[in-house]
Amino acid sequence: MAFLDIEHISKTFQNGAYQTQALADINLQISKGEFAVISGPSGSGKTTLLNIIGGLDAPTSGAIILEGEELTGLPENILAARRRDYIGFVFQAYNLLPVLTAAENIEYIMKLQGWGQEKCNLRTLEVAKKLGIANLLDKLPNQMSGGQQQRVAVARAVAAKPKLVLADEPTANLDSKSAASLMAMMRSLNEEEGITIIFSSHDPLVIAQAKLTITIKDGQVDK
Amino acid sequence: MFRVIMKLAWASLSRRRGRSLLVISMIAVCLWGLLSLEGLYDGMIAQMIQNATRSDSGDISIFAKGYRQNNELAELVDSAALDKFLKNDGRILSFSKRIMQSGLVATAHYARNITIYGIDLTEEQKNGRLNNYIVSGEYSFANRSKGAIIGAELASKLSAKIGSKIIISAQNMVNEVSSSALKITGILKTHTVLDKNAVFIDRQKTRDLLMVPRGITQVLVTLKNRNKDIAVIQGDLAGIDGLEVWRWDEIYPALLQSKQMNEKFNLIISFLVFCVAGLGIFGVMSVSVLERMREFGIMLALGTKFSQIGSIIMLEAFLMAIMGFGTGSVFGGATLYYLKQYGLNLAIFSKGLEAFGMDSVMRAVIRPQYFFLALAAVMLAAFVSALLPLRFLQRAKPVSLIQTI
Repeated sequence: MAFLDIEHISKTFQNGAYQTQALADINLQISKGEFAVISGPSGSGKTTLLNIIGGLDAPTSGAIILEGEELTGLPENILAARRRDYIGFVFQAYNLLPVLTAAENIEYIMKLQGWGQEKCNLRTLEVAKKLGIANLLDKLPNQMSGGQQQRVAVARAVAAKPKLVLADEPTANLDSKSAASLMAMMRSLNEEEGITIIFSSHDPLVIAQAKLTITIKDGQVDK
Repeated sequence: MFRVIMKLAWASLSRRRGRSLLVISMIAVCLWGLLSLEGLYDGMIAQMIQNATRSDSGDISIFAKGYRQNNELAELVDSAALDKFLKNDGRILSFSKRIMQSGLVATAHYARNITIYGIDLTEEQKNGRLNNYIVSGEYSFANRSKGAIIGAELASKLSAKIGSKIIISAQNMVNEVSSSALKITGILKTHTVLDKNAVFIDRQKTRDLLMVPRGITQVLVTLKNRNKDIAVIQGDLAGIDGLEVWRWDEIYPALLQSKQMNEKFNLIISFLVFCVAGLGIFGVMSVSVLERMREFGIMLALGTKFSQIGSIIMLEAFLMAIMGFGTGSVFGGATLYYLKQYGLNLAIFSKGLEAFGMDSVMRAVIRPQYFFLALAAVMLAAFVSALLPLRFLQRAKPVSLIQTI
């Protein structure tokens, strides 16, 4: 049994009378500790697949099995708990909570899980140092650059030690230098903390950083 | 996590300062008006009741059985058991006794039907504070009790003033007409029917005039705690033989109806405040939630429970409500205090007000239930107005919220 089993996942979007098949019978197995990229052109279904893996969207058919537990079909409140406890998200547009400082953003999921303040502080500092943002902890998102915000977003995703981190085009809004730096940090986190990271990208330089490349084209895995 | 929820709720309010201040001001102004009106109207009713009970009915009036139907002088109260009860019952604050008879008053040029009230000035001052209603002259029957205090309207009809001579006549106990010449020593204004037809004279003089050696027509009783004890004491007194015991609201049912109508009116105003507060908060909360759909989507994606997001939204609504309530209470309380101390002078409407038995200076009352009711209305409004945006949020999927621009 693989760490993450993606079995016969299909997704069809209904828009009035029109149907669009975003994913068609996707089958994948991801090992624990993997640093994988889902690549493909725009509109190929990368984000849809990540959303389904992360439980943000439901597939039309198929199953997502994470460490032996099927996530598809769970009620929303249980799915939210699974996302909180097992899965970290990094979004393309950073999506930090604008009224919370960097430290509070990083602590957010730990607080959801009920960590004590001291434990939160220690872990926040640890992760912030690894990502080079220890000097930004008391800043608000609007006081940081795009690259800094994305690093805070990565810190937030990994701080609570999830089993799996899903990053949707994490470098899309960054310049090449920031993008390279971020990918290096994510790779380092993957190696040091053993977190399985799956990210999507269509940037060849970013794709090259991954250990495993999965190419999606027209909603199917391109073999 | 509560600190984070609190911070998110507070930050949302301060981010949209203008809008938040607008709703808070709306609630505050509504509350200010509500509290002021409630206090003023209740004060007005309380004043009317006080005028009636202090001058005419007391909290409880005791007559001989059948007196109120027949109005016969011979129907007198003369009960040792009653005297004992009145002196010993700890619930009674004070009482006064009156002898009453219909009669006639005449001056050189005019004559009017009246009711003669034989009173003891000290008793009345202690019980009903009749002295407070003197508007001209003195609260006195002068030397040898040759004075009379009459109602202001009666004085006007007789074209009489302080020092004017009047002759009062009435049928006595042996069915003969007795008369007495008196001088007006005081004119009073109670804003009740007494102003039109009352002539107050010394009780002993009344006994002599009407040949009533013992017994009295009416006992006016003032209680220490009217609301709590009135019905019970009425029952206790009714147990004494030969008595009819009337509560003030039975003698003045119209006043009771006014009081009840006012209570309904206060509820209606509270409901209006609830609606205004609710609509205001609903408007702001709806926009606030719609503006932050993406943010809420991210929070849901990160594993935040819907109930936690609900807490943030509810907290925002409650914070606005509390701040509006606090501000409105301060202004409303200050206004009530001013109106209680100095009153609202409506002298230009005095004729109309007097027709309803009201003073031209209206004083407010301050009751804690005004604030409790207002708080309940505002908090309920906050709760209800946050529900609809929450329902809207609950139906949306996190992925579609995240994709919201």
